[in-house]
Amino acid sequence: MLEFDAAAKRFGSLQALDACSFTARPGRLTGFLGPNGAGKTTAMRTLFGLVELDSGAVRWRGAAIGPEQRARFGYMPEERGLYPRMRVRDQLVYLGRLCGRSTAAVNRTVDAWLERLGISSRAADRLDALSHGNQQRVQLIAALVNEPELLVLDEPFSGLDPLAMTAMSEMLAEVASAGTTVLFSSHQLDLVEDICEDVVIINAGRVMRAGDLAELRAEVPQRIVTIRYRGTAPDWPRSSSFQVVDQHEGEARLRVEQDADLPAMLAAAQRTTEVVSFSYEPPTLSELFRQAVAA
Amino acid sequence: MNGAHQTWLVAARELRERGRSRAFLGSLVLMLLAVAGAIVLPAFLDTGPGTKDVGLTGTSPAGLPAALQAQGGAVGTKIRIHRYDTQTGGEAAVRDGGLDVLVVDGRQLEWRKRADEQLKAVVTGAIQLVTVRERAEAAGMNPDDLLAVVQPLAVTNVGLGQVAGRSPDDETAAFLMTLILFFSISTYGAMVLSGVVEEKSSRTVEVLLARMPARNLLAGKIAGIGLLGLAQVAATAVVALVAASLADSFDVPAVRGTVLVWAVVWFVLGYALYATVFGALGSLASRTEDASSVTGPVTVLLVLGFMVSFAAIGSTEATWAHLVSWFPITAPLAMPNRIAMGVATWWDPVVAVSFTVATIAGLVVLGGRVYTRAMLHTGATLSLGDAWRGAPRPTRSNVPTVIETTERKEEPVVTQSTTREARTLLILIVTAMVVGGVVFALAGDFVVGVGVGAAFFALTRQALKVWGRRSDHEADTSRGRDREPLHQ
Repeated sequence: MLEFDAAAKRFGSLQALDACSFTARPGRLTGFLGPNGAGKTTAMRTLFGLVELDSGAVRWRGAAIGPEQRARFGYMPEERGLYPRMRVRDQLVYLGRLCGRSTAAVNRTVDAWLERLGISSRAADRLDALSHGNQQRVQLIAALVNEPELLVLDEPFSGLDPLAMTAMSEMLAEVASAGTTVLFSSHQLDLVEDICEDVVIINAGRVMRAGDLAELRAEVPQRIVTIRYRGTAPDWPRSSSFQVVDQHEGEARLRVEQDADLPAMLAAAQRTTEVVSFSYEPPTLSELFRQAVAA
Repeated sequence: MNGAHQTWLVAARELRERGRSRAFLGSLVLMLLAVAGAIVLPAFLDTGPGTKDVGLTGTSPAGLPAALQAQGGAVGTKIRIHRYDTQTGGEAAVRDGGLDVLVVDGRQLEWRKRADEQLKAVVTGAIQLVTVRERAEAAGMNPDDLLAVVQPLAVTNVGLGQVAGRSPDDETAAFLMTLILFFSISTYGAMVLSGVVEEKSSRTVEVLLARMPARNLLAGKIAGIGLLGLAQVAATAVVALVAASLADSFDVPAVRGTVLVWAVVWFVLGYALYATVFGALGSLASRTEDASSVTGPVTVLLVLGFMVSFAAIGSTEATWAHLVSWFPITAPLAMPNRIAMGVATWWDPVVAVSFTVATIAGLVVLGGRVYTRAMLHTGATLSLGDAWRGAPRPTRSNVPTVIETTERKEEPVVTQSTTREARTLLILIVTAMVVGGVVFALAGDFVVGVGVGAAFFALTRQALKVWGRRSDHEADTSRGRDREPLHQ
């Protein structure tokens, strides 16, 4: 288990991390969310000794993180970068050996991943001879060469086409199902909602929400009612018990309290229009995110 | 993970990647060919001038051809004799290069342009000899007795070096060694620089530093490239020696084992010193284009060191030459040539090595700190001062920052920084004058004093600029103003 314990870091006047506490559990995908400048990259860099904390601690399996632990971590930084003129396979083997693994073990891992991602035919080429998509794959393998116990990825989905995104999310799920702790940052909230069990939302260095996504959604006192209708838009009576979020083209979304009087709402709608469907759900991750960040 | 093992992996990567790059192999082969060619070619060309064509016309003494060949043989020149019936025919042959010289009536030498001094001596000597013999016979004397009397004594020429026991060849050797050391140190120092900048600009560094401490990366890079440099220097030396022994014509300057060992030691020390500085400064630049401007002052220093060491060959006894060989910045070039010249006492290299090693140790600590802090910074080129204090990083600009940026243009800040700049300049000028004065007093040469003072001023000023490129914006730095461009 990865644990941030009241981690704090200040760059001049900018409080990048502020009593930041959360955990990431093994075998699960943890989405690390927050607006630009919220401190996501700083938090991730802390794990690799690229940023030194002012106070607080980060722990892996209960122990402070040092070189020994980092040798078993994998990291894909937001700013991708590998030696452009080095051969793909040599480069990956070199990075694996830097983690202290034997050449034979690294060779096995690298070859397996090259095969798995369909780029073994390019293994002897220089990195800069590869297409952008293939370079991204190599970058991902670079984070996996030591068969990490903790995989940290900064914006792994940025710059990927829809197919590559699907492939990436399948791979992350696969890695996590093998027992690896996976922490990644992203702005693709819908995607995170689909694949992550856990999320951490931070803003201005502080953790706003953290934990199991389903539980977080259920905890929110508001619910979203979606009514699809045919014909004219419903003419809602003035009421403080609900709030119209959005209404157009045969669909109305309303934010209501958890204990709202649903039959009365449905009846009110049916008085003015023909209702096709009616749903009552906890808010989506996007709404959760907006609320958390606005607070 | 063992730090030494990581350092070795980094060094091994440098050796492997650079060792098999076509650019490196090409330049190595080219250099070896050039060295071998420079030594072997003159030996081949030398066979040409070994034969001279001498034309005779008009009346010439009967024994002249034999005398010419004898005289020529004495200095290793084969003489071919050609006879011409008319002077114009002979002159035509001289003009079109068929003859080296035309002897008219045994008393006039005609050359195409200027006289070939050696051939002139041979021909003149032969004419004198033949004439003396003829006159002796005419006077009834035994020509052989007379020749024995007038036979010139062989006078040998010896070039005296500046120091007893050293010849001008040693001075040539010392100069060549300084030249090779200078080129090796700057070439491989520049490789460290470009390697550091490559890792930073390609952002490979973040992946690497997530796996190892910055000092292992820098140390491994310097060690790997240094080994490559050592290998190239050794290969060059071996090729030079082999070519020289094959050609046999090349006068290998008195090369002593101890001098060569010292040259290697000083390559290692000089390279370590400059590579550390280049590596640390390279980390300040974010792009290859910025690298040369960041390291400009150091390159100037290195070139200056070379020029001073070169100048020191001519005046080994001067106090300034002695000081230059101790001073860590110039010692790697100046001390080995003092050793080659034989003017160094046993403790001279000891003092210079201690100073240089101490300087390297200091630079490793300072450079390591700058490198560690600057390597992960992105955006504009960092100033040395910012890197030292710890660059603000790594987040993107956010809204409060933008507001602060607009607030920053306040009059008082500008005035303050201007007065500070003027004060710094004044202090610098006074210091430069003192330095120049001291050098003048020690060296006893006014021009050298002025030169060193001016160089000191220029270099320090440049260094201060690099250090304080953003000292005006200190307020921003202390507020942690973010210099990174907006991503995404």
